[in-house]
Amino acid sequence: MNKMNANKIWTRREILRAGLAGFGTAAMPLVFSRGAAAAEAAASNRILVVLEMSGGNDGLNTLVPYGDDAYYRHRPHIGIRPEKLLKVDEHFGFNPGMAGFERLYKDGKMAVVHGCGYAQPSFSHFTSMAYWHTGAPNSGEEYGWVGRLADAIDPKLTPNFIVNIDEVQSLAVRAKDHVPVVFDDPNTFGRKGMYQTRPLLDHVDENPDAANASQRYLLDVAKSAREASQLVRDAWTKYKTPVDYGIAAIDLPKVASLIAAGMPTRLYYTSFRHNAFDTHVQQSDLHQRLLTYTADAVAGFMKDMERIGRADDVAVMVFSEFGRRVPENTSLGTDHGTANHMYLIGRNVRGGQFGTPSNLSELDEGDNLQFTTDFRRVYATVIEGWLGYRDSQRLFSQRFETFPVFA
Amino acid sequence: MFLGIRSKAFALGALLAASAAAWAADGAGDLGPIASRDWSYAKAAHLLERAGFGGTPEEVARYAALAPEAAVRRLVRSKDVPNPLPAFDESDIHDPGLEPFPVSRPAATDRAKETGESMGVKVKPAGNRRLQPVADKFFYWLRASRLETHRMSYWWANRMLLTERPLEEKMALFWHGHFANSEEKIRDYRKLLMQIRLFQEKGTGNFRDLMIGVAQDPAMLAFLDAGVNVKGAPNENFAREIMELFTMGVGNYTEKDIREAARAFTGWNFKDLTFVIDPERHDDSVKNVLGQSGNFDGVEVIDVILAQPVTADYLAAKIYRYFVRQEITPELRKQLGAVLRDSNYELAPLLETIFLSKDFYSAAATGTRIKPPVELVVGTYRKMGLKEVPGVPDFNDVTEALGQKLFYPPTVAGWANGKSWITPGLLLTRGNFVYDIVFPDINFLPPDRYPGGDYQIAIVNDKLAQGYDVTTATKPDAKEVTSMSMQVDRDEDFNTRLASYRGWQTALQKVKPIPRATAKLDLSEMVLAAGSRNTREAVDYLVARFLSVEVDGGTRQRIAEFLSRELGTSELAGTETFLEEPLRLTLHLILSLPEYQLG
Repeated sequence: MNKMNANKIWTRREILRAGLAGFGTAAMPLVFSRGAAAAEAAASNRILVVLEMSGGNDGLNTLVPYGDDAYYRHRPHIGIRPEKLLKVDEHFGFNPGMAGFERLYKDGKMAVVHGCGYAQPSFSHFTSMAYWHTGAPNSGEEYGWVGRLADAIDPKLTPNFIVNIDEVQSLAVRAKDHVPVVFDDPNTFGRKGMYQTRPLLDHVDENPDAANASQRYLLDVAKSAREASQLVRDAWTKYKTPVDYGIAAIDLPKVASLIAAGMPTRLYYTSFRHNAFDTHVQQSDLHQRLLTYTADAVAGFMKDMERIGRADDVAVMVFSEFGRRVPENTSLGTDHGTANHMYLIGRNVRGGQFGTPSNLSELDEGDNLQFTTDFRRVYATVIEGWLGYRDSQRLFSQRFETFPVFA
Repeated sequence: MFLGIRSKAFALGALLAASAAAWAADGAGDLGPIASRDWSYAKAAHLLERAGFGGTPEEVARYAALAPEAAVRRLVRSKDVPNPLPAFDESDIHDPGLEPFPVSRPAATDRAKETGESMGVKVKPAGNRRLQPVADKFFYWLRASRLETHRMSYWWANRMLLTERPLEEKMALFWHGHFANSEEKIRDYRKLLMQIRLFQEKGTGNFRDLMIGVAQDPAMLAFLDAGVNVKGAPNENFAREIMELFTMGVGNYTEKDIREAARAFTGWNFKDLTFVIDPERHDDSVKNVLGQSGNFDGVEVIDVILAQPVTADYLAAKIYRYFVRQEITPELRKQLGAVLRDSNYELAPLLETIFLSKDFYSAAATGTRIKPPVELVVGTYRKMGLKEVPGVPDFNDVTEALGQKLFYPPTVAGWANGKSWITPGLLLTRGNFVYDIVFPDINFLPPDRYPGGDYQIAIVNDKLAQGYDVTTATKPDAKEVTSMSMQVDRDEDFNTRLASYRGWQTALQKVKPIPRATAKLDLSEMVLAAGSRNTREAVDYLVARFLSVEVDGGTRQRIAEFLSRELGTSELAGTETFLEEPLRLTLHLILSLPEYQLG
């Protein structure tokens, strides 16, 4: 890690310039934080960006196991022929739309983790996504894994520590103590109000008599909105990039603008939204298009990080709530399935493949892949290996072996 | 009937009292009915807020003057309450040739290539862009149906605003989130109109009727791909959502139950606006669903599902969580499920039990619910005393920005309620909505008349008028094009961008415009008629009229001082001629308090 860079966003001058000064000690360097594990993680300035592909991405047509005849037997119509694939080795090739991922992989900046899933899989989008969000399948965990992680590594509750770009807040970022900054369009992330009403509008979040929990929640959110909105809008307004993020950039340019502006955010959460990857019917063209958008946006984002000199500080994790059933359905699409790949991307990522691919000839009784890697091993990998918090066990109530993905 | 229900609810309450579980001193957890002597203006306001879209002081007073049973009955059993509201005034944009509408633009043009015709439009015999009229027609319907859907949401919002039967619309809105179908996929406003009318008509009736109605509703059949669920190749989408989202909830059935149930629904389909069963495609053999086996069809599978005890529990709990609060104890879930089950899925007894219960009026249930966006917007207009939904700001844009656009639920699971309505971004947007009512944007352009921005076709319009050939006129903006394609108008079957442009052009001619009046708001008249004599009284009046929770004295004092500064006096007498603008600033301040989001 670049030491100079590590200190950069924490200097008093930078804080002033970013408009953070008003928020007091919370934005100061976190040398007094409790617990060695938290202190180590807090001292780092590494950023994690999570991107979810909502709807259940068809992993088998994303990174295609073209070396396995079983793949073509199960998918006589929608299986992608070897000559069309962007091959990465003797066995796997990316979907033809994914030049962006192919480049990242060949440059050694992408780790693919095979066979990610969990026991007793749910085939419901909402349930399975909630399991991935909480990192606690088949339990009633109330908070998200990103939220719990923030509470653990940042007990001082740095404002704007978590940013979630979406229309609604993801369960993944729901925290006991942190109030995530959630917005969709930076341009409208601000309060309208005439000059003479401004002093009062700035204090709407101060009701000393807040009677019920909903009211207190609203006041907390109002405070977070006041603190974050100016920073976000300024960051977005100032941000200009020559980098091409492709046709549907998802929300990654917004993330880039905040990183460029020196926001103290360590955890970004974004989504390819609205169940886009739920490809039950005539999926081939649509699916390829969705993958192109994803690959172009992620590749563009990493290029942009290089451009602004933050590529060493940022890692991206990509996942979906489940893969799809191995045999194609009769509508030239695929139904809800199980195990899938996860992707870790960044200059500090050790590129290559990790974990064991699920065996296409040993499907479960529902014609689904059997998972080989608990997805929380990948979470633990980024929590420990990337963010430097050694106690991921505390977040998941059990120990998950990490992969040697981060140098 | 009504008394019977009441005593049943009371008996349930007594049952709970006898058990070890005790409810809070103020009645939280107690389904027993509140006493008439406890009925008050505040409780009537709470009832209207939850069972409807909030009320003006006059409406609240009318309900407060009734006994609680009568007030609740008026809402729940409202079919005999006169409610003269206009039917949706359709634009006459559909023609029979459009059916069956192709699933995609490629499907539309492929069909035309094969048969010489598509959507009632013939392929030109020769010349350039022979398929252009076909592509035009395809985009025309997409645009027209979308615009008409926007008009339809105005129609529905106006019903919510003006209805004498607020719970009828509120339940329709609940079911719209429960059976969440989106125009984004259905692409036919007529089907969605039928569906909403089904919700309005049967939404407080019997759930079995409603569930069967929905399962045979063309919008739902289209939304869940019923057409591809056929004998020998069942598609599980429909059966899965019925069990997971509509009736039982996850964890109460197996994957095998879904596969078997899907077979019972095979052959169910729609033809234009009619439900049809194709016997050739219906799997008529024995199915095993939830421990029952038989030669089930779809209705019988629904009956098997309704016979599961968990179904009534699931539905009752969802209704409770929508109307009362997000948290429900296992005891309440069981008791409310029993009410629904014992009435054979009649919804009225359940709703009456909830709205009469001590639990519903307890502190934990009052002023604690985060208003969903549509309720916030309609409720704001209702409390302002408006007689129509303003055209400025645009209702669809506002509700979309707030996260709840009618006819466009985000996923098949509908909208998540409670805290998920509020993020820092959305909280600010809620305040900005109020600003846009009290200070309408003079730069406002009606989105249903100016579609150019979103679809990048404004420039096509201009270039065609300047005599450019189609290839040049439709060239993507600000992108280099190779010299080859710049030279001449290309030979092609059709041009998609031109079709998009023409689709808009025809749709704009056919779809009626949305009226664009701003809010007819007269705050001066409102506070003076209420008898407010000074700024403090005016602020107290507005706070009480609009908010459901207390605002601390200090805040109210600061806002009153602000109003006094703006007026140059704290007395209202003599300020009539310049009172409106300062009051609008004041209302914006009051409705920007985070507390305004609670109902």
